[in-house]
Amino acid sequence: MFAALKHIVLLLGGFVVLAPFAVMLSYSLKSPAEIERGTGGFFGAQAPMVDEMCVARSQPDRAALDAARAASPDLTDDAILSRLDTDRREACSMRPVVFNYTKAFTEAPLMRYLLNGLIVTLSIFVIQVVVALPAAYALAKLRFWGRDAAFALVLFCLLIPVNAVALPLYLGLAKLGLTNSYAALVIPWTISAFGIFLMRQFFMGVPDDLVDAARMDGMGEFAIVWRVMLPTAIPALIAFAIFSITAHWNDYFWPRIVITGDRDLFTPPLGLREFQAGADGSLYGPMMATATIIVIPLIAAFLLAQRKFIEGIALSGMK
Amino acid sequence: MATVTLRGIRKAYKDTEILRGINLDIAEGEFVSLVGPSGCGKSTLLRIIAGLEGPTAGEVLLDGVSVSGTRAADRNLSMVFQSYALYPHLTVAENIAVPLRMRRLNRWQRLPLVGGFMGGAAARSIAADVQSAAEMLEIGPLLDRRPGEMSGGQRQRVALARALVRQPAAFLLDEPLSNLDAKLRAHTRTEITELHRKLGATFIYVTHDQVEAMTMSDRIAVMMGGQILQCDTPARIYADPCDLRVAEFVGSPRINVIPAEADSAGRIAIPGCTLPLRHGCRAALRLALRPEALFLTAHDPKLRGEVVHVENMGHEFVIQIAVAGLPSRLVLRTAMPAAIGQAVGIGFDPAQALIFDAEGRRCRDVAVTQGVAA
Repeated sequence: MFAALKHIVLLLGGFVVLAPFAVMLSYSLKSPAEIERGTGGFFGAQAPMVDEMCVARSQPDRAALDAARAASPDLTDDAILSRLDTDRREACSMRPVVFNYTKAFTEAPLMRYLLNGLIVTLSIFVIQVVVALPAAYALAKLRFWGRDAAFALVLFCLLIPVNAVALPLYLGLAKLGLTNSYAALVIPWTISAFGIFLMRQFFMGVPDDLVDAARMDGMGEFAIVWRVMLPTAIPALIAFAIFSITAHWNDYFWPRIVITGDRDLFTPPLGLREFQAGADGSLYGPMMATATIIVIPLIAAFLLAQRKFIEGIALSGMK
Repeated sequence: MATVTLRGIRKAYKDTEILRGINLDIAEGEFVSLVGPSGCGKSTLLRIIAGLEGPTAGEVLLDGVSVSGTRAADRNLSMVFQSYALYPHLTVAENIAVPLRMRRLNRWQRLPLVGGFMGGAAARSIAADVQSAAEMLEIGPLLDRRPGEMSGGQRQRVALARALVRQPAAFLLDEPLSNLDAKLRAHTRTEITELHRKLGATFIYVTHDQVEAMTMSDRIAVMMGGQILQCDTPARIYADPCDLRVAEFVGSPRINVIPAEADSAGRIAIPGCTLPLRHGCRAALRLALRPEALFLTAHDPKLRGEVVHVENMGHEFVIQIAVAGLPSRLVLRTAMPAAIGQAVGIGFDPAQALIFDAEGRRCRDVAVTQGVAA
């Protein structure tokens, strides 16, 4: 009885979490008319639709008209015009799913945004690791004056919300003239208190003998970090990677603040805004297609890393 | 190969003193065991020799040269850990190669991927040395495995191979057998002793198991409370201990301790009889007798008691006897079985008795006086 109740609660929770994704995916497949009227089920009818903007863009010019007259001299101009019109509408008609996904790439430089997202998240993660691993190693395995105080500061930093320090960070970057650059997107996140904390907890569980053996074998302290601690900490590192990459790939707040004009520096979430201001207000389909494209890399990465990720969490929780 | 000399080593953490002035000279090629109960400071001492910890006072000399300021990595010592401490992400061959790679290759040659193209002759010599170390310990077929895929005994061998591959000045072994099961432990004991003979290197071996110390060492240093109580050959440690704690620690079953007293004439008496032994002056004493020094006898026994427990060891019986007036049971070894509940008489040769004073120090001014009636 209790087990059944538990599952019902879990199912409800799962539904609440998954519903927005289902809506996103469904909208990305449907035509504007279906989205507006709420018809077509999950996949939409996929009836060919006409892209009015495409039609408007390809008004026939005089040369095309002359060519059409020459090809069929027995028709009146009206008939020719209407036939050209039909041809155009036919050329501009496509299935909604194709419309949405091509629109996602043509309306905004989505590939560029994805590339920016990749550069920014990977740079952040790599630098975070370069900083966090030696720091965590020192906090977990070395004895030095003030170690406990340093660790207490790390814990304290975990409590500071990003938004609280956003303004001073922005001002600092602005004074350095770094706004509207990759540096502005990356630098504030390079020292991750969470990363230091997570890796420190994991390193606490690595036996001291292993570190001592490495010292006897002739390794210096940095060599121990990269050659011994890093390989043993892969599960924890993957767990951290998931947290870090998800957070910064999806971040809207910070890029919105420091990237003020240059569209070439937009990250994927900023790219989504391109569809919001549409005057006709009917670009939900492409917008949702963009959103789908943005979350796919994350979902793929998570599924690939899932087993290791859960292992990592379990390990760091055990010790 | 090197001599190891310890001069007045002290170590204190905050207020607790772990080591209280250790002096020890270890000759070249000697096998010395540091043995003692847990918490006696033996592992700390080994770590100080290794350079993994610094002493509060005193110094370590290798070949007569102080290594106080030298990093562990530069002391050219090898250490085998209780937990083996193999690198879990490397294969056996890579594990054994690590100490050589760190010494013979430069920074660039050690880089992953690209380093492989730059090693050249050095890399080939490393591979050859790894191979010969693996052959010496008969782990050739395991070279491609990872530590996680091996048994404890196999990991132990890999740890030994990693220690000996770079031919260090001395080997430090920190309870290397305590994670093995009893059968494998006896086997590996022999192997390590043979390895020592083959290499002729200096071995410093830490253990809490007196059997390991007795069977393997040239000399045993018995440690207790941060001090070396006695450092001597196994035979002398066993037969001629200078401290009651040493006598009690070494030997299984434990040595029998009987309270005794020297009267004003210096004659030594135990509850029930006076012994033909003479001590310098009047004092409370303790008499210690190895289980094999006691025998069952009906003729003129020195002590009488009742058999309370019998252990059949196959080749002998270990008999526990409760004697009225003694605080603990006496244990003796005999070839003859005895029945539980049986009243027996116990005899011993007074010359075999070890006499200790009230503080546990050995009294050597004891003379056997013939003809004094019991």
